[in-house]
Order: sequence, then structure tokens, then C-alpha cells
Amino acid sequence: MSQKKLAFVFPPFASDYPDDPFTNLNGFDDCFRKYLSRAAEFADPDLIKFVIPTRTFLEDELKTQYISYIQACSLVSWFRAKGVVPGYCSGYSMGIYAALFQAEVISFLDGLVLIRQAYKEIKKVTGPIAYGMSAIIGLNQDDLEQLIRKEKMNLKLAIQNSVCSFSISGSAEDIRKLTESAQKEGALSTRVLNVSVPYHSVFLKDTAIGFNEFVNQMQFRSPKMPIVSLIDQELLLEEHLLKNEVVRNLFTSLNWYETQLYLQELGVNRFVECGSGKGIVKNARFIEGDAVFYTANSFTSLLDTK
Amino acid sequence: MAFITENTKKEVTDIVYNFFSDECEVDIKDIHADTNIINDIDGDSLMFLELIEIFKKKYNLDIELKTIGKYSVKHPVQTIGQLIEMQLLIIEHENKLLELDQ
Repeated sequence: MSQKKLAFVFPPFASDYPDDPFTNLNGFDDCFRKYLSRAAEFADPDLIKFVIPTRTFLEDELKTQYISYIQACSLVSWFRAKGVVPGYCSGYSMGIYAALFQAEVISFLDGLVLIRQAYKEIKKVTGPIAYGMSAIIGLNQDDLEQLIRKEKMNLKLAIQNSVCSFSISGSAEDIRKLTESAQKEGALSTRVLNVSVPYHSVFLKDTAIGFNEFVNQMQFRSPKMPIVSLIDQELLLEEHLLKNEVVRNLFTSLNWYETQLYLQELGVNRFVECGSGKGIVKNARFIEGDAVFYTANSFTSLLDTK
Repeated sequence: MAFITENTKKEVTDIVYNFFSDECEVDIKDIHADTNIINDIDGDSLMFLELIEIFKKKYNLDIELKTIGKYSVKHPVQTIGQLIEMQLLIIEHENKLLELDQ
């Protein structure tokens, strides 16, 4: 049964794995192992070696993207088996592929294909140039843009998480400089992210042609539920819009803050972060409203309220 | 500039202890003034930000986050006790916090 006031948000790929986030989910591990095994056969045999306590693959961005996608798809299936289907879904960053799987736009294997191809296109564009991303908390958009302009840094705001929480993309050297300058400016927290790609920024604009051609050859089905765009907060209900979203997602800035507000306007009052972490939910608490948030350790309580 | 009473101190302390107990899923009895927020109870900067917002609303404070950020660079907070002290200074001095260093 679809629950109109419930939204699933699919997180970006993990920068770390909390200890045993899914241990209290009865039947999840079997589901995860099934998907992992299919992914290992299809995309990369190494995936079968994945074990959470060893933090396997965290230094390999592509494998980590696969693992996060596999975890998200396993959660989709686990929730489906319990009769929980959201009214809306949304994909934060690379979570877009799991959102497409949730809405039954693509198959599990097609999601792996898209992840692999996107990464291939990204690497073609970035080549040997050192890029990176950082997360800055405590400065607003104007503060950050002024800082970037003043110091002539080759950086772009990539994701807005709340009024004073942003992710920034650009050259690795300027990312390091920004974290120092932002601290002096009064940021409460600055952190260089463990990525080598300037996701969601114009630096990846040249992925558009190649990835667009690839995506347009794929079969997308009509979504079984609306997917809400993190780019412009549109409801994506048609195949061509979804394909366009997947392509733009690589090089266009995202806004989780506006997306959550829009979902709340649509009547959503429960959000599920469909992954192993709590990153989206932690930011979401700074957005006004009475919504309730669920992460891996509280999924069972969501079942109680079904 | 607010006057900090014993009552304010107790109120702030109770809010901070209860907040971290809930957020970090730690028994309140295991939280002490010298508890390291990151290493001992797995807290993070977003929790710090949320606490600031709680106190801003509760005491109707006029303070910019940037002011707190700049103060934190010189006076980094690691423990629960240090955090309570800083929150009391924020309540007492609001946007004049940085003048304490002059």
C-alpha cells in the first residue's frame, strides 16, 4: 500500500559505514546478500568481499557507489516485503539511481549500468586533474560566495543542505584553501570529503553529451510514484524528464533544503533515509516543520506506525 | 547582556545533558563534564549547531553563527563541560562574545 505522506530519500554513496546499521532488521541481510551476489556477477566480482566492519572499498569511489546502491535497493525490497511503499521518493546525489529503482523506472541491474557509465564519463572529463569537495557548516550562501569570489577560488556551491550547511566542489587545492578561510570567517565546521570528483558542479558539464547519448539508449519505464527533483523540485513523472534528471544530476547543483520544504508542502510528514547513515536526516532537523525522520536504527518503529 | 543565575546554569546543563543523551543514545548517567563529545559519545558539529538553535530560541538570543564560529577557533570545545561554559557565555554576551578576547 502506498503511503502518501511518506517519502523515501536515497542518500549519496557512503563516506563511512556505521557499525552494523541493519542488524535489527529481520531478513535484511539475506536480501542484501542476494543483491550483492547479483551485482558481483554482473558488475564487479570484488563486490562479494564486502563486509561492513572492515570498511571495505571506502577508498574506491565506484565500488562504494555500487555498495550504497545495493544497500538502498535491498532496503526498498525489504520495505516492500513489509508492505511499505512511499508516496514520493527522491535521490540525493548518486542516490538518484536507487530512487529510479524504487519507482520501478529501471531494474536493479540497469542501476549498476548507469552508475558504471556515469563514473566512466566523469573520469573522462576530470582526467588527471585533482578535484575534491568539502562540507561547510555555519556560513550562509552569501558568506560562502563572497569568500570564493574574494579569494578567486575555482569552486562552486554544489549542494545546499540547510540555510547554513553546504557542500562545495572544485579544484582540490582550492577546496583545502576554502576550509581554512571558512574557519577564519566563522564556520562552525569544515570537512574535506573523501571524494576525488567535483560532483554536481559545472566542472562536470562535459559529461553531458556522452552520458546523455548513453542514457537515451536505455529503457526507462513510467514511474510508479513521483520522484522529486533535487535540482529544481519538480515532480518527475515522465521518462524524458527522468532521463534528463539523471544526466543533469552530475553537473548541476542540488538543493536538499528546498526539496524537503517542497515535500512537506505536498503533505509529507515522514521521511525515511534509505541507507546506512544519518547525514540527510541530521541536516533535515534544521528545516522548519513537524516531520518525523527515520534512519536505519529506527526503521522497525516505522513499521509499527504503518 | 543577560545575567547568568544559578538557575540558568542548571537549566543549560540539564538541556545539554538531555540533548546528548537523546541524540547519541547514551544513558545520561554516562555523560559527565569531561565527556569528550566526539570521541566518547560520537557527537558531531551538527549537534552543536542544533543546540545553538535551541538556546537561540529559548533565550531569544541575538547572535550570528559566524560569531560563535570565530570564538570557537580560539576556544575549541571538546567536552560537555566546555560546551556548557560556552553556551553560558553565548547567553550572557550574545553578539558581543568576541569582545571577551579583546
